[in-house]
Amino acid sequence: MEALSGLALAVALAGLGLWAMVTRRNIVWKLLGLNVASGGSILFLVALSHRPGARPAIRGLGPGPAVDPLPQALVLTAIVIHFATLALALALVIILTEHRHTQDAKRLEEEQ
Amino acid sequence: MRWALTFGLLGLTGLLGLGIFEIWPRPCFPDPDEIALAWGVENSVAAIVLGQRLWDTILEVLVYVLAMVGVRFFLAGLRWQTKLPPVAETPFFRRSADLLFGPILVFAIYVAASGHIGPGGGFPAGVIVGSGLLLLALAKGTEQLAAELYEPKLEGLEYAAVLATLVLGALVLIFGLRSATAFVAGNILIALEVAIGAWAVLHRFAAARGEV
Amino acid sequence: MNAALLGILSYLGLGVLGILFGRGRLAAVLALVAGGVTLSLWAPEFPEGFLGGPPLGIALAGDFWALGIWGLALLLHAAVLLHGWKKEGLFHAIITVLIGTCLAGGVSRDLFNLYIVLELATLLSVILVAKEGRSPAVWAALRYLLLAGVGMILYLFGLGLVYGRTGLLAVSALAHADFSIPSIRIGVGFLLVGAAVKTGVFLLGLWLPPAHGQAPTEVSALLSGLVVKLGVMTMARLAEAFPVEPIVLALGILTGFGGLIYAIWEQDLKVFLAYSTVSQLGYMLLGLGLENQEAGLFYAVAHGLFKGLLFLSAGSAIEGAGKRKISELRGGLPWPAVLGLALGAWAIAGLPPLAGFPGKYALALSSPIWAKGILLGLSLGTAASFSKLLPILQPKNGDQAGGIFLLTAAILGLGIWGIFLFPGLWRLNPWLEAVLPAGAGYGVYLVLRKVPAKIRRLPLDWAILSALLTSLFLIAVVLFA
Repeated sequence: MEALSGLALAVALAGLGLWAMVTRRNIVWKLLGLNVASGGSILFLVALSHRPGARPAIRGLGPGPAVDPLPQALVLTAIVIHFATLALALALVIILTEHRHTQDAKRLEEEQ
Repeated sequence: MRWALTFGLLGLTGLLGLGIFEIWPRPCFPDPDEIALAWGVENSVAAIVLGQRLWDTILEVLVYVLAMVGVRFFLAGLRWQTKLPPVAETPFFRRSADLLFGPILVFAIYVAASGHIGPGGGFPAGVIVGSGLLLLALAKGTEQLAAELYEPKLEGLEYAAVLATLVLGALVLIFGLRSATAFVAGNILIALEVAIGAWAVLHRFAAARGEV
Repeated sequence: MNAALLGILSYLGLGVLGILFGRGRLAAVLALVAGGVTLSLWAPEFPEGFLGGPPLGIALAGDFWALGIWGLALLLHAAVLLHGWKKEGLFHAIITVLIGTCLAGGVSRDLFNLYIVLELATLLSVILVAKEGRSPAVWAALRYLLLAGVGMILYLFGLGLVYGRTGLLAVSALAHADFSIPSIRIGVGFLLVGAAVKTGVFLLGLWLPPAHGQAPTEVSALLSGLVVKLGVMTMARLAEAFPVEPIVLALGILTGFGGLIYAIWEQDLKVFLAYSTVSQLGYMLLGLGLENQEAGLFYAVAHGLFKGLLFLSAGSAIEGAGKRKISELRGGLPWPAVLGLALGAWAIAGLPPLAGFPGKYALALSSPIWAKGILLGLSLGTAASFSKLLPILQPKNGDQAGGIFLLTAAILGLGIWGIFLFPGLWRLNPWLEAVLPAGAGYGVYLVLRKVPAKIRRLPLDWAILSALLTSLFLIAVVLFA
């Protein structure tokens, strides 16, 4: 049951983030939306590793079934990649703001 | 446009929900303890990250480092545009930040070095060092902290750590090295890279503050 | 397999060394040597191996896709290195790492590994596109990053669904999965649209035209020539594991004609070439959709070569004349640029004996009649869109010929090899089938020249929205069909 709530929350986060990406005009808002949506997709993967009543996947922690370690490993990678993407995107936003003095997506598109 | 967006997002989330409901029964996966045993460590997640899927981890480290290269390159020329007020922190805060940074660093080294036995590993350790540097930067001001850390050497150290990670990867993947020492070395190298990259982000972004 | 790994690791390592010491060109040359040597060691194929042990290790295999992408990558790297020899070291070092990434992607047969390779390629492409600091390029790079981010979120959801239900990540293992389970169908749909956003197909990946159009010359050549092929290869792997060929086929037709509509009326030279890339993706996806992956790969390699040639020549032309619009480029261009543009247009129109001719023939070989009709229509449109280059092909003095010559020789070589490779190209029929649409296309161009352009370009919000809506449609189709 916990996995289901985790998965549903992940989908909701992704939807929220994508909504913000399309609706907001400020590009920093769009980046925040991308951040939240990435969080959603990452949470989706983590929630998949849940097994009811299981222990963490470390060998010395006692008997019994363990949770699935692979999605956790995938998520470590995905978090780092999303962080790197966000950092680079923010750097580009800074440069763009420096040149064009605006953060409004509509004005940036028109003044080509 | 909002109607189309609502329709699209509802549709996509509905499809995802349908997919989630049909996910049970879940398949069995190989016993994590055996994976950990096969690689000589205790943490199965570390065994997967730095063992079974080491190739992925190498590429991911490259993603991180090259993003930092990009950030450094793009923000290289930006400086303060207006005169910023001096950092108005109390001496108590500055002194305690100095004192706290030592234990934070030790804790990070512990998390990195014990990543193959317990939870943790290189990535959290790097982030811990980054947070410690953030604390110092808040107390002392980024410019003063940057003056105390020699930046070109740090950058060179980060790239050297990447090269060492590539060599380690070659040893494990091509020559079949399987020992816990490789895991500890990998974790510490990754912690170095993540920490220096986080410092680069912190420094360049703080330096680029100003009139826009 | 170890040779391939060694090649990729040395490429990546030399790239990082180049960044560390600032000696990008030396690093690139050494990397090319290492890449060539390791390619000759493992060519023509190596069997599938699991790095780290099955079933959860990373599956790598050296099949025909790997061979094609490695060859294309090394050739394009050499050409770009020659063409952009005067640029600074950091530029070449990052290009070296990008080529290394494409090499890593070429051998990969694991869904998550492909995700990381695609993300790394995107990151490097973004840095290279925005490198020269021109404001339109930086905005194009930011758009690219945002849209690619959306695509990768969709990809991760799909990956989660597929892994959650099957517990497998390797393509060859997933071929045995039960496709009737709704979770897997929806998951595959998400994976497919995520890969399609990265590839830059028409409605899903509208970041491509500005990004490839505004990038520096060598970067455009590499992006259009090589990096989009990574996305195509991901879709090929998905099509190999799951029966999604009809969807890929429909996507190919959509992007082929959609790209053409924009390409015929586009006046900026580089953006025109970028729209042409969008349209040519249609050919490659048609190859995948018609279950003829070898033909798709052949066309992908051929397209990489002649699109690279076209972009390098366009770059020379624009630097020589200082203007970007096609109508303003009359009055003499450097002669290597003219040679490159002429030969590139000749090849992309599918005229013999250059590489486009056997490529299109191979696609038409095993396809039903309606597919042949679609291919003819695409050829006609391509010829029509490229006819607008004819008035500006007036040579004068110039230099910077190294990379252009290399690619010209490669296209000629590939074309002649292809003519021997595919039987039946010596009869009159295929030659007629190639020449007639080209001629008809020229006629269409003459007619459409007077019609003013009335097509808007979609801004960023609409681009994301169109990606989401098209994804919804496609995933629903995968689920119910």
